[in-house]
Amino acid sequence: MSTTAPAGTAAPPQQPPSTTPAAPRRRRSLTRGGGLFVLPFLVLFALFLVWPVVQGLWMSLTDASLSLRDTEFVGFANYTEAFGDPDVWSSLGNTVFFTVISCVPLVLVALAMALLVHSGLAGQWVWRLAYFAPYLLPVTVVTLIWTWLYQPDIGLGNQLLTSLGMEPVGWLSDESVAMWSVAALTVWWTVGFNFLLYLAALQSLPVTYDEAAALDGAGAWRRLWSVTLPQLRHTTVLVAMLQVLASLKVFDQIYILTKGGPNGSTRPILEYVYDVGFTGYRLGYASAVSYIFFAIVIVVSVMQLRLFRQEG
Amino acid sequence: MNSAPPARGLPGAWDPDRPPGIGRRGLLRYGTASAAALLAAGPLTGCASPARAGEASALKVWDLFQGGDGMLMDEMIAAVSRGAEGFDVDRTILDWGPSYYTKLAMSAAGGRASDVAVLHLSRLAGYAPGGLLDPLDLDLLAEFGVGEKDFAPAVWKRAQHRDTVYAIPLDVHPFIVFYDKDAADEAGLLDPSGHLAPMGSPEAFLDAGKKLAEVTGKSGVLFGHVTDTAQSWRQFAALYAQTGASFTLPDGGPPKIDIDAAVKVVTFMKQLFDGRTNPNNLDYNGAMAAFMDGRGGMIMAGEWELPTFRKSGIEHLGAAPFPQVFERPAVYADSHSFVLPHQDHPDLARRREAHRYIAEIVKQSLTWASAGHIPAYLPVQAGPEYAKLDPQSSYAAAGEIAVLDPPNWFAGAGGNFQNRMCQPLQSALLGNTSAEKAVRQMVREADTLLRRPNPVA
Repeated sequence: MSTTAPAGTAAPPQQPPSTTPAAPRRRRSLTRGGGLFVLPFLVLFALFLVWPVVQGLWMSLTDASLSLRDTEFVGFANYTEAFGDPDVWSSLGNTVFFTVISCVPLVLVALAMALLVHSGLAGQWVWRLAYFAPYLLPVTVVTLIWTWLYQPDIGLGNQLLTSLGMEPVGWLSDESVAMWSVAALTVWWTVGFNFLLYLAALQSLPVTYDEAAALDGAGAWRRLWSVTLPQLRHTTVLVAMLQVLASLKVFDQIYILTKGGPNGSTRPILEYVYDVGFTGYRLGYASAVSYIFFAIVIVVSVMQLRLFRQEG
Repeated sequence: MNSAPPARGLPGAWDPDRPPGIGRRGLLRYGTASAAALLAAGPLTGCASPARAGEASALKVWDLFQGGDGMLMDEMIAAVSRGAEGFDVDRTILDWGPSYYTKLAMSAAGGRASDVAVLHLSRLAGYAPGGLLDPLDLDLLAEFGVGEKDFAPAVWKRAQHRDTVYAIPLDVHPFIVFYDKDAADEAGLLDPSGHLAPMGSPEAFLDAGKKLAEVTGKSGVLFGHVTDTAQSWRQFAALYAQTGASFTLPDGGPPKIDIDAAVKVVTFMKQLFDGRTNPNNLDYNGAMAAFMDGRGGMIMAGEWELPTFRKSGIEHLGAAPFPQVFERPAVYADSHSFVLPHQDHPDLARRREAHRYIAEIVKQSLTWASAGHIPAYLPVQAGPEYAKLDPQSSYAAAGEIAVLDPPNWFAGAGGNFQNRMCQPLQSALLGNTSAEKAVRQMVREADTLLRRPNPVA
């Protein structure tokens, strides 16, 4: 998802003037030739996305489980149970908390990195590679690396702290620290992608504005605040939206790193769904919880869209 | 369709306006046709081949053994596949963990499961009551020379649900202690025969930790539990069972647990891992690495780590059942066992083969024991060959005092229950909460799980 979005925004927004008269012909060709090309995707989309979504909705109204007994329709009982389930709320809270503490640095750090690289440092490719390389690593590799860094006894993190005369930290075992550790890992791992988006945007900015401002005597900070950043607004909107959605669906790194511990302090809602559905076999209930989360994601997305539109 | 186009001679010959050779369209047409011909031919030749025919009758076996265990299982399967009576086994290895049990349940719920599968005995209560397993035919097994008398009563009892046998145990794999014989010797912890002397009391164990720490210059007893979803529970369960108290999980709750005994156990665990003589903040890999580096004299771990420790080059590696410090001996354990996942339309001949396979493979468990597991099949365990295995035979007694998870659908290996029990225990060991609070939370967590509707009943 995240890879297709930038391509869409990079396309020039202006329509060629010939669109209006050519419209009927284009539509016809789409239904004949284009439709065939889209068909395989549509079939797969319907089969593996639309149908499961519909079936999941139905399942959330039943007591479906992984056993041989008959499934019964239970109406909204699963939803009622979910709203009263403290684990749903705590894991939802964890997801939101993670989203907040990861999205802010993921946008700001990416911007800072892109500005630094764009400022014309020598050896550009080294910086680009260094910033983007972690993004290429698979999640298992990233978490394995960081598990050792966070190792309480022999990990680099605590070695550094103790060598500076500070107390070691329970990176993954202290309830108040663990989620921050997960966020730090996530920023290190994924910030490269946002960095790349920002860098691409910076490189496509017309230099004339900047030059004009410089001629008018604007300093570097002034030009950054008043010329560069306003022009990056669309990229920031895009990055922020993608990031919020990506952070809301956090699961894999946490599952490998902490399994939701200590004391459920890093368990995101999706892990709770996984626990209930796959290790707990309660498919109906798990579906209900995921539908509640689905609704929340939609609400957040719509709100975000509205917010950015108003500003624009 | 698959024969016509290639037979037509030169492509393009039937269109005089076209230059000779294969054009773009021609290439597409002929390419598609030949691909279709190949696809169509595939299954036909497949049917004719004897290899394919043999595969159809091969016994389908699912297990979760990877790495060293996986290779040993291969060896055992090879052993039972030899000769005229040999089996034709189609083995599927799945990743161990919660996902294995999800897949097993799904295949059984679909009614087209494998002929034989491996299941931790602690998970039986989540499978047998829901009809996900088919019962074993004891008469058939007896015909192949395997029966109740061949297994320790503690394990045999857990292989049943409502007096029906659903599993045949392959091994017992207890949570034990490994120790460096040299360090233990220097600390004065060995008996005259060179084995770890009994501890007998919490104080003795605490003292042993101190002495070992003095010898190694670093730590005494190592235990990796941070972010682990089973380790703390294994340790707690072993020590709790030693108090003689029982922990049961009746459907609907509340859990029956002796709070005083549980608090006593957690208090002792906190004392033992106080962060000075024995570090309290190690994760699994950290503890393993520390032991192999000689930074601790003893480690609490599963016997399945034996091959890893062997490879690490520890010169004099000792192993012993989990030390008894409370009233009675008990060790936490689980057991890999063979089950018949539910099939809607079982073939009687295949079922018979499945029983014969299970019987034959448990008789091979001496091979299995080389990885550290205690053979559940007593004739092998009592045999002279097993007695020669060191240090395996030194903890064989653990099988008789094995304590498994309290039976309920959510308990057992890879289940939610162990993870939920580990969380408060971890907090207690790290000093973030008191023993009383940790136990209260454990009871609350168990109660929450019990109050949920049972999805497999």
